[in-house]
Amino acid sequence: MPSSSSDADLIARARSGDDHAFGELVARYEGAVAATAVGMLGAGDDAEDVGQETFIRFHHSLDKFRGESSLKTYLVHIAMNLSLNVLRSRRRLFARFVSREEAAADVPEPRLGPEGEYDAGELRAFVRRAVNGLSEKHRAVVVLRMFQDCSTREAAEILGVPEGTVLSRLSRALKELEPLLSPYVRGGTGTVLPENAL
Amino acid sequence: MIDHERPTNHPIEPLLRDAAPTAFAPGFAGRVHARLRAEREDVLPRALERHFIRIVPLAAAASLLLAAFNWWGARGAASSALDAALNLPPVTVASAYATASLFGSTGATETP
Repeated sequence: MPSSSSDADLIARARSGDDHAFGELVARYEGAVAATAVGMLGAGDDAEDVGQETFIRFHHSLDKFRGESSLKTYLVHIAMNLSLNVLRSRRRLFARFVSREEAAADVPEPRLGPEGEYDAGELRAFVRRAVNGLSEKHRAVVVLRMFQDCSTREAAEILGVPEGTVLSRLSRALKELEPLLSPYVRGGTGTVLPENAL
Repeated sequence: MIDHERPTNHPIEPLLRDAAPTAFAPGFAGRVHARLRAEREDVLPRALERHFIRIVPLAAAASLLLAAFNWWGARGAASSALDAALNLPPVTVASAYATASLFGSTGATETP
């Protein structure tokens, strides 16, 4: 059961060797780290490894963590850097064989269910794979701003680029995703309905 | 810290926010703990490895220095640069016999 202890309290206990406190921090921020790692790399072993490595590194640097940024930002920063490293090594291995366009074209469209609506899980998977088809730079911005709800300033800080760059990359990324995703959105309210249901 | 600026207020934005992954496969925290435990058990070998890596350049430098010193001292007398660097004595028939007498001979030609 999650406790109501503050991050600072849990960190202090984890520093003194309390594994239970560290476990609570893992449970509390697993979602944020998963959104970054899975958002950047897709679900699978690489994302899981990045997730584990993020918390291991955090554990090693418990004494150094001063709380200058929020713990979420700190962990997301580590997860993003590790994810980008994985993407760099993947690029070296596969870029010559599979182009990004080919990968993006491989996204299967969600199917309509008997009720005439798209399955929410299928649609989420479709959206994630569409995001995965973006370039690394555009994907990173979408993951931070849309999946993590980071501010532009936080995203800029994590990626080490100016805020204007974050905004322009986000704008380009949304433009790129629009033709793929807009058929599944109606009214701008997040209500997901098939085109022929209206 | 979180602002909610919407640079485009784009219609696909809610779809993207809804698609955010929320967790790893079940048991993630347990797997992190298992890795931490494994790392703790691995502390001694890692410490030795770290120290060894620090010592290697020093040992290599010391070996080179010693070889250079040997070579410099025996550069005229040794038959090759390698012999000089390793401080090997020149091999002659006399030195071979001297070595045999040093360790004692076990050859069949020896008579009591």
